[in-house]
Amino acid sequence: MLSVDRESILEVLMSLIIAFAVGTVVLVVLGYDPIRVYSILFKYGYGNTDYLLKKSTPLLLTGLAFSVPAIAGVFNIGGESQLYVGAITALLVAHYTGSAIPAVIIGTAAGALLGLTIAALRVYRNINEVITAIMLNWTFFYFIAYLVSAKYANPKVPHESVPVPPGARIGGIFFIAVLTALTYYYVLHFTEIGYKMRVSGVSPQSARYAGFSPEKMVLTSMLLGGAAAGLGGALLVLGATYTIDTTLSAIYGIGFTGIGIGLLGRNNPVGIIFSSLFMSGLIIGGQWVELKTGAPPELADTLIGVIVIALAVPYAYRLLMKKVGQRGSAA
Amino acid sequence: MPAVEMEGIFKVYPDGVVALRGVTLRVEEGEIHGLLGENGAGKSTLMRILYGEIKPTEGRIKLFGREVNFSGPWDAIRHGVGMVYQHFTLVPTFTVLENLYLALLPLNPDITPEEVRKLAEKKMEETGLRVPLGEVVENLPIGVQQRVEIIKALLQNAKILALDEPTSVLTPIEVEELFKTLRELKKEGITIIFITHKLKEVKEITDRVTVMRRGEVVGTVNTGEVSEKDLARMMVQREVVMSLQKSPANPGEVVFRVENLKVRDEAGIEAVKGVTLELREGEVLGIAGVQGNGQRELAEALAGIRLPHDGRIIFEGRDVTSLGAAERYKLGIAYVPDSRKVGLVGDMKIVENVILTNLPRVTSSGRIMWDAAESLSEEVIKRFDVVAPSVKAPIKHLSGGNQQKVMVGREIVREPKVFIVAEPTQGLDIGATEFIRRTILNLRDSGKAVLLISTDLDEVLQLSDRIAVIYEGRIMAVGRPEEFTLERLGLLMGGVDA
Ligand SMILES: Nc1ncnc2c1ncn2[C@@H]1O[C@H](COP(=O)(O)OP(=O)(O)O)[C@@H](O)[C@H]1O
Ligand SMILES: [Mg+2]
Repeated sequence: MLSVDRESILEVLMSLIIAFAVGTVVLVVLGYDPIRVYSILFKYGYGNTDYLLKKSTPLLLTGLAFSVPAIAGVFNIGGESQLYVGAITALLVAHYTGSAIPAVIIGTAAGALLGLTIAALRVYRNINEVITAIMLNWTFFYFIAYLVSAKYANPKVPHESVPVPPGARIGGIFFIAVLTALTYYYVLHFTEIGYKMRVSGVSPQSARYAGFSPEKMVLTSMLLGGAAAGLGGALLVLGATYTIDTTLSAIYGIGFTGIGIGLLGRNNPVGIIFSSLFMSGLIIGGQWVELKTGAPPELADTLIGVIVIALAVPYAYRLLMKKVGQRGSAA
Repeated sequence: MPAVEMEGIFKVYPDGVVALRGVTLRVEEGEIHGLLGENGAGKSTLMRILYGEIKPTEGRIKLFGREVNFSGPWDAIRHGVGMVYQHFTLVPTFTVLENLYLALLPLNPDITPEEVRKLAEKKMEETGLRVPLGEVVENLPIGVQQRVEIIKALLQNAKILALDEPTSVLTPIEVEELFKTLRELKKEGITIIFITHKLKEVKEITDRVTVMRRGEVVGTVNTGEVSEKDLARMMVQREVVMSLQKSPANPGEVVFRVENLKVRDEAGIEAVKGVTLELREGEVLGIAGVQGNGQRELAEALAGIRLPHDGRIIFEGRDVTSLGAAERYKLGIAYVPDSRKVGLVGDMKIVENVILTNLPRVTSSGRIMWDAAESLSEEVIKRFDVVAPSVKAPIKHLSGGNQQKVMVGREIVREPKVFIVAEPTQGLDIGATEFIRRTILNLRDSGKAVLLISTDLDEVLQLSDRIAVIYEGRIMAVGRPEEFTLERLGLLMGGVDA
């Protein structure tokens, strides 16, 4: 029972149309030729498959890191730091062992552990997961910046960390990410634990009635989400960048963009495969637009921002209607 | 001159429920006027109309002889009507003073917090009603929060104060305090409308009382001239229609025993205060009572959703008190909750709802066998006449009756030995109601033990082989239906031993 419903596909399409329409207006107002900009955007954004897939990989995984917890009712804004710890542990393990498999496993575990920690603070200490996650994002950002610039700097290239040794570099990372998405899809829709997560997310009181704990599902979903982001970080350094630069520009922002990708994919792992590709293309294409037309880099960001907002509007609208409906029917 | 005159009030809710059918209420100035009635009698609806929160479908309202037509609560407040709901409308994270300031701003946009403090202190002086102005509301006991609501209404210059079941959230000591306050306010000339279903309270505090039943007024009497018995009779009086054919019960062994069970509600207040019950195979034990007397907490404790803090639950000779809901369901206990919002997941498909309490049957080593789940759902649909396009349709697209059939049916296909069901026909049309009641009787005839918890007295009378009346978390009496007259039931439900 593949649950990609027509309604949400339609909604996504509508949002995209609105986004590009608004983008066109913005371009015209700023004095750019929209047709030229869009053709550059799409031609170059989706022209280099290899680069596109590499770019999409960590974004697909942070998309999952947002969406799987969202399905169980948790707002995981911590994909960012979960990806950081995955990246740094994978880098270090690869550095010391010279092989990829332990690096992937430990990077994934590190992300999972961090996700679980955030969830545990919410479940057992009632600390809001958004606040914890935002604080941890910055904590880990500076901690890793410290590690790569002070402890594990590359003596030959001053603004980079030690590199992943050649024997630990891997290819085909996008397919690992797709496999992860399909596995998560399977877990959500074909296993008991996935079913329980979905019930807990929409109706915790129904979960309690049925005799399982929505809190446990919060923990599970954050474990799975964190693992995805951790894997994303690991694959990024082992298969794409092979190093982390001291400004962290290679890893910064992927977790945040993942939120948009998750929403664009309507929290459906299969949808997220496509939304990560789409979004990556926009990001790449945006850089080419900048290069070829001299448009500011904010242009692509604006376009992406408009898409996310256009997508969020129907979602927010439904949420609002639900709230209003509940109030109306309360005695 | 009467303070309140409501004449010929009709109210039809948008979903077609006729809540009031020509109600006339007259409240004299300066009296404490009781409004008594069972659940669903229309008391809250009448008060929400008086407070301008909803509009009557038909009817006129006069305050102190002048006809009014409120466009909203703020309008009612300006005309001197104050309202204290069962659920408070304070901002929990604000201090008392901030809440009062917030309430007075719309009436006087120039007012300062300091002026509000002075006004509040003066009002507390006059009425003897004390609240800590500097405290954050959520840290205050419920009784004090209620007092804040009352002060708030008074500061808004309420001349008429309506309180909707104000004692249902209070401890006995807090109830005494409230009564003292109300008497004080009466001395100040405030007119009070006091809603309750508790007979003792009516006798203790009101001057006159209007009794409502099913959207109509049964009568208005001077409290001093009637007995609790008279009031009980007025409240529950009805023709019991025995439309269901019912064979005599054939009770067997005791399968379920509850001993001195004590359960707390979310707020930590003891809602079930030592309930002891026995349930036999092949019988329906009906628990009658007005809503909010511990029924939900009792049901949830029996199902294993809520942990009791004292007492024991014995199922087939085995102590199951410490088992969770899933384990109890597996042993053969089933529970249908009083709310479809709890029992069903509206956004999910029928099949996903059917498996909610049937997971062990449709999973194998952690995997859901959707084929098995779908055929189980087909079975529920067929056996219980559910009208649905397919098992994959979202449950929210079904009518209330069909949703209820799914919720009841998925428990019955499990062949449970003990069937606990709460408010099984609430909000259903006649056809669905008959069907569900028939189903419950069939279950009994096939030797299952049924515990029916219902605030619908007709339902309890029609289905039960034995009746227990619950009031404030205690069982007032247990017996066969013949042992209860309507009057006695009314007294017991109203908290009077009889
Ligand atoms: N918002 C509403 N929409 C539809 N029906 C309602 C609503 N509120 C109350 N009712 C129905 O109106 C009737 C009277 O309810 P209510 O005024 O709450 O009674 P009471 O306060 O005496 O228990 C009941 O049948 C109830 O189900
Ligand atoms: Mg009411």
